[in-house]
Amino acid sequence: MAAASCTTLLALTSDHIPEPGVHAGLAVWGILAFALAGTVAWWRRPESRFGILMVVAGATWFLATLTSANLAVPYTIGLVFDLVPAVAFLHVVLAFPNGRLEGPFERSLVAVGYATALGVHTIGMTLGGFGPDNLAELASRGTASHRLENVQLVVISALCLAGVVLLALRRREAGRPLRRSLARLVDSFALALVMLAFLFLSAVFGLASGETSFETIRRVTFFFVGLAPLVFLVGLLQARLARSAVGDLIVELRTDPAPTDLRDALSRAVRDPSLTLAYWLPEFQTYAGVDGRPVEPGADDTGRAMTLIDRDGEPVAALLHDPSLEDEPELLAAATAGAGIALENARLQVELRARLEELRGSRARMVDVADKERQRLERNLHDGAQQRLIALSLELSLLGGELDGDKHAQERLTRARHEIAASLAELREIARGIHPAVVSGHGLGVALEQLAALAPLPVKLSVETEGRLPEAVEVAAYYLVSESLANVGKYADASFATVAVRRGADGVIIEVTDDGVGGADTERGTGLRGIADRLEALDGTLRAWSPAGGGTRIRGEIPCAP
Amino acid sequence: MRAVIAEDSVLLREGVAGLLRAHDVDVVGCCETAEDLMLKVRSYSPDIAIVDIRLPPTHRDEGLRAALEIRSHHPGVGVLVLSQYVEVGLALKLFEDTADGAGYLLKDRISDVTDFVAAVRRIAEGGSAIDPIIVSTLISRHREDDPLVALTPREHEVLVLMAEGRSNQGIADRLVITLRAVEKYVSSIFGKLGLPSAGSDSRRVLAVLLYLRA
Repeated sequence: MAAASCTTLLALTSDHIPEPGVHAGLAVWGILAFALAGTVAWWRRPESRFGILMVVAGATWFLATLTSANLAVPYTIGLVFDLVPAVAFLHVVLAFPNGRLEGPFERSLVAVGYATALGVHTIGMTLGGFGPDNLAELASRGTASHRLENVQLVVISALCLAGVVLLALRRREAGRPLRRSLARLVDSFALALVMLAFLFLSAVFGLASGETSFETIRRVTFFFVGLAPLVFLVGLLQARLARSAVGDLIVELRTDPAPTDLRDALSRAVRDPSLTLAYWLPEFQTYAGVDGRPVEPGADDTGRAMTLIDRDGEPVAALLHDPSLEDEPELLAAATAGAGIALENARLQVELRARLEELRGSRARMVDVADKERQRLERNLHDGAQQRLIALSLELSLLGGELDGDKHAQERLTRARHEIAASLAELREIARGIHPAVVSGHGLGVALEQLAALAPLPVKLSVETEGRLPEAVEVAAYYLVSESLANVGKYADASFATVAVRRGADGVIIEVTDDGVGGADTERGTGLRGIADRLEALDGTLRAWSPAGGGTRIRGEIPCAP
Repeated sequence: MRAVIAEDSVLLREGVAGLLRAHDVDVVGCCETAEDLMLKVRSYSPDIAIVDIRLPPTHRDEGLRAALEIRSHHPGVGVLVLSQYVEVGLALKLFEDTADGAGYLLKDRISDVTDFVAAVRRIAEGGSAIDPIIVSTLISRHREDDPLVALTPREHEVLVLMAEGRSNQGIADRLVITLRAVEKYVSSIFGKLGLPSAGSDSRRVLAVLLYLRA
């Protein structure tokens, strides 16, 4: 306040600046913006150096306004700091949000800036050219001093533009929509830096025609530089308002939402649309998403920040969020505390889902292992006993051809061949029961023709799937139809059945219907229950509609990629 | 008559080759894989290719695919598909367009040497052979308002033999009746089932097969 009043006074009494009112207003605008935003930030988060940095930037701006003084000493001090506020602003921009310059490139940019604005500028002042009140003047070589100043301005412009590039790079690295208030802040930083560069360059190269338009550029620039800290201040105040959003969150969570809603509610409360939640499952020693499948938070999301939530010392969940939220730890803490019970509930639900998922996985593996084993057995039968019996039968037949005359021996050979034929027929049935080789060999459509032809009632068959489906899906569908048709024959007392296989939205749909007595149940008997298990192992479902007297409809659905 | 055989079991391959040679069939090539079979069909232009439906490397449908390829690219070569199981669906696939010069038999049939050799000759000459199990499955299939019940037992027998691909003479020999009697039964069957009288033996096989499947 004191600085601002002092500036106003100096400007209004100044004998060498035009339109002192506007000049003072802009200076006060800038100084107060930095001082206010810096003080609030400092007070809110004393551990962060960002607040102090802003206050210092405001102070340099004040020192620079001393150039409006009529006395030689303050005028000279003002001259020394004339270019410093621009560099201090660059420093603020690059040190956002924690007050530290993170990379060596940032550090060198700022260092070169200060060296140019303070060091080189002071040397320039010794060469004179800043009027009679310049106490630092040792020689009077105005032209050299002027050239040196132009070089300084170009260098500082370049630094500002480099700062803009850095901001753009950071934004691209983030690779996702920034939080809204943060995006606004970055935009206002960039705009102010571009304006500064434009201002200095137009001073050097006379881009603006005439003194008035240069003065306009200067005013607009000052306005935007002063605007940036205010945008920051608005962001801080919004963070305060956000805590009332936490209140909404608590009310919302009273209804005990499902875990997806919990993520949405949390994301709204902390105003971070990119927020994701991962729940800690102690039983599996891993984090899992809402679907119960394991995730590794932070594994591939570089540039995301992670906050761990625990309850009574036990981890509950991990929040993956925008790094800028780390500057509002009390908001995060309030939101996670508010969601505490709901988070714990959601975690239990996710744990249940993970267990189901694990169960499904192990069931699928068991079915798969059993199927492979059955396939191997069928293959052994096919290549072993069956081939040998056929060859043996042929051998006996040829032997019979050489036994002309001996009727008795002929008859015995024929009987033996009939025995072999009966054994082969039995083996065929056994082999088919072990594994329907025709399904894996020639597809579901071909295999169903045989089932329809052998069914104990008329069957209308329609298979509308193009090409082959995954083998496990085809085998499961085959067993479903086989078992359903067998049941129709045994219990339904039906006169007609239909079998339909077609593609649904995200899988295959198999339907077997009849016009029989109804009353069937997937839980009754082991047949359909086994089929339901097989389908569930493939993440599919089996449903039966069987009203008494109204026929039966069995519908299986198995997800598979088109 | 020249034949090539594709069968991965040595026992059966040599058995079939031996019995065909004993019946004056010139077995010009024996092989284990579908690829080799296609090579031999192209270079020897045999009258018939005898193919195991399960061939290496995967023992899935290599044999059937080779058979279908011969049917479409070498119409002059008869194809007899042998299998340890017979399926209505596979018969329909093999005889999709025509039953001319095609056969599908259970491997068990090999040991009925006379019948087997007759089937091989028939296919080589452009006729057909369908395994009795397929025919009996199709004939005993349940259908609404089954028109087959209108057939007399004798007509039933003739229908089965006709569907297996046998000629009128073959049916006459089998049932020990005259050729004229067979012709009378055949036209009566076609009349009762409402089928147009077909030309060759194999064309009538296809007609009956499609009729029974529906």
